[in-house]
Amino acid sequence: MNAVDGSDHYSKTSDEPPPSLLTIILDTNPNAWALLSPTLPLSAAIANLLVFINAHLAFNNANKVAIIASHTQRAEFLYPLPAHEISPHINGSNTHNGDVEMADGDEPTVAEETSTDDANHYRPFRQIQSTLLTSLSTLLKTTSPTSLTPTTSIAGALTLALTYINRCTLNASTTSPNPTTTTPSDNALNPDTAPPPLHPRILILSVSGDLAHQYIPIMNTIFACQRLSIPIDIAKISGDTVFLQQASDATHGTYIKLEHPRGLLQYLMMGFLPDQSCRGFLVAPTAVGVDFRAACFCHRRVVDVGFVCSICLSIFCSPPEGAICLTCGTHLQLGEYGEKPAVVAKKKKKKRDMVDGKAKEATVRSRPG
Amino acid sequence: MADTDDEYVQDISDDEVEAHQVTRGAGGGSRATGQGLRGGGWEVTRTWENVVEGADGTINSTVEGLLEAGKRKRLLKDTTPLQRGIIRHLLLVLDLSTAMSEKDLRPTRYLLTLRYTTAFITEFFEQNPISQLGIIGTRDGLALTISPLSGNPNDHIANVQKLHDQEPKGQPSLQNALDMARAALFHAPTHTTREVLILFGSLISSDPGDVHITISALVKSHIAVQIIGLAAQVAICQTLANRTNPSLPLSQTYTVALNEQHYRDLFMRATTPPTTPQSTKEGNGVQSSLLMMGFPSRIVDPSPTLCACHSRPTRGGYLCSRCSSKVCSLPTQCPACGLTLILSTHLARSYHHLFPLRNWKEVSWAKASVSKQTCCFGCQMPFLDRSTNNHRRQSSGAGGQNHDRIALGMTRGQTKTPKIVPKTQSAASKDGVSESGRYECETCGRFFCIDCDVFAHEVVHNCPGCQSREGILQAQAHGALDIGEMEGLEESQNS
Repeated sequence: MNAVDGSDHYSKTSDEPPPSLLTIILDTNPNAWALLSPTLPLSAAIANLLVFINAHLAFNNANKVAIIASHTQRAEFLYPLPAHEISPHINGSNTHNGDVEMADGDEPTVAEETSTDDANHYRPFRQIQSTLLTSLSTLLKTTSPTSLTPTTSIAGALTLALTYINRCTLNASTTSPNPTTTTPSDNALNPDTAPPPLHPRILILSVSGDLAHQYIPIMNTIFACQRLSIPIDIAKISGDTVFLQQASDATHGTYIKLEHPRGLLQYLMMGFLPDQSCRGFLVAPTAVGVDFRAACFCHRRVVDVGFVCSICLSIFCSPPEGAICLTCGTHLQLGEYGEKPAVVAKKKKKKRDMVDGKAKEATVRSRPG
Repeated sequence: MADTDDEYVQDISDDEVEAHQVTRGAGGGSRATGQGLRGGGWEVTRTWENVVEGADGTINSTVEGLLEAGKRKRLLKDTTPLQRGIIRHLLLVLDLSTAMSEKDLRPTRYLLTLRYTTAFITEFFEQNPISQLGIIGTRDGLALTISPLSGNPNDHIANVQKLHDQEPKGQPSLQNALDMARAALFHAPTHTTREVLILFGSLISSDPGDVHITISALVKSHIAVQIIGLAAQVAICQTLANRTNPSLPLSQTYTVALNEQHYRDLFMRATTPPTTPQSTKEGNGVQSSLLMMGFPSRIVDPSPTLCACHSRPTRGGYLCSRCSSKVCSLPTQCPACGLTLILSTHLARSYHHLFPLRNWKEVSWAKASVSKQTCCFGCQMPFLDRSTNNHRRQSSGAGGQNHDRIALGMTRGQTKTPKIVPKTQSAASKDGVSESGRYECETCGRFFCIDCDVFAHEVVHNCPGCQSREGILQAQAHGALDIGEMEGLEESQNS
């Protein structure tokens, strides 16, 4: 809309790198943290994480951060908190004007009364610290023992992170001189448009394994990140998951498996602090090998050569019973699967063998064109 | 509002350009009157007639409504899980005749087509990683192969780039191009789709024989032809599209591009896999079969070795799981043993076509004011209160409403009845726009804003609420959801 009034003059005023939005997904599975507690208790991990966040914020005044908890069975924002959740948590101290404010990095908010212990604490730092600690303790308090599972809802946390990043990107682009009101999918299709006003990235602190049941949602988020060129960094503190390896590989993120979880801060500062614009100049730690093999749907066996249903793309380790797909129930035609060498004469024979009238006709008819 | 040109310019500068385009797009085919009117769409579309003054005397509410309707319109597609032809064979036919040098689509039809084709190739393989694409051109009454049928996007893009050096010339030949496409698709296996997409810029076709015979042959070989016209509707194209897609309406198979954006939308629509029609499921068209595929692992050689596909020395690559030949990139067919080699992630990429995210429903004010959700679950943007609705309509802008102050309690909103609600509701429900700016996922019952709605359906294909809901893991395991219980749990947490 501004193209008409000649406001193009104001574009390209600075060569500064765009601010980066760091979205941290913290795996808060209590089981896994309990196992880790001799080497790295959750409190120590949070303390290290806060130092890392502060370092990120100190890099650039416009840098932003968001923290999402991937709990056993749900995903929640830890920071920033949605407006309506702040007031009940912080004793209603901010209802002086009846307005609700987003807990944003630049605005003075609610957090001041709660942590008066350190008057010299830089306010954005203190604010994140208090909000994070409050919401995390609320999260842990509301966890019932019945809901404890060894898994974590990474897919939900990733989806939340993506929608939040989408919102921030939209906000940033509408305040920038050249508003792009197109949808992100258009942006992904138009690489020649203006540079992104914001560099988003996602960091996952993962402690639990086994995400097999969330396969499709996780893959969807990975492909979305790939389209939007959002790197997914993985700090694997414990456990092992193939999907997260594939996630960082597909999105050109960093995957580090922590050999010594005690040194979390060191790993964070050295491996994950540089943003997208810096990474081009650095030698990033890379994963040695990525497992690309597939697990079959029938026995969960890892296969090199599998059989795929052409309708629903399910993978089987051997042709299923009665040639009926176990997932979609379609009757499948079985081929020969290279039992005999592919010689031209054999191919013709195969076609003649088919009872299908059309195929016969096709071989008889001369090739058109 | 006066219908003078001055007034119109005023409208444009006030409104969003997008709003303008939306109405033009919705006009559908009003431009098929001929080539003379192409440059000036304003002569036939009267955008200002759609603009109705709101209760406060401004047109902002209409403009915002149009914006949202535009976003929403792209979403409201059928989301029933349909059987789709995921493995596709598509031949793209480019018109390279003199008609393509017209400048009605900027910079020219030819250059724009080449640019969009490049984007299309990338997007096609993003969406259909295990499909095959081929490109055919037609000029001087001949058909020529630009890029043979293959699954490698880079080859296609390189071949299309070569066209930049050439000029469009002569006349196109539909018959020759279709015959060539039929020959190329002749050997496509029965479990794949056979499709032809024609970008047709001219109004004539110079054919050596009877094109109807070719069309009958296409029908016999189950080849579906889609056409995007750039000038005006042509009768033979209409016949062609109708006869090769008997089950689809013409609006989905033959459309004339109205402007650059519309052209792009039509073009990109072809990247979505087509649904498998009921009739062909029974065995005469697309047949389901079990395919053998290899999932190779990546290797890095200490010294370069020749790859089997290009005979180029490379270090990295993938080894065929059956015969251990080295190929450079996936997905591909093993050049030695013919096994289809893919990554499991390629298969996963197609899953969202098979299990689409359901459309979210608009939320009425009555429902919104009862609910306790005051901000979008996905991005945390606070929703607008009913009483501040007018205020919101005045502060236009697609995003960035963080600075809007909303009332804390819902009490004020409940007591006050807005004046213009009945009117906007009738107008809004038509376009699928929610009067309260909220959209609800019916499975998890969360409210979302329009931007998250668009984003979740177009890009992520996940519902943020459903994925991060209490008990979702058990629900996925047991296949049953108890929504009421979860709602109660959620509310008890919030209060």
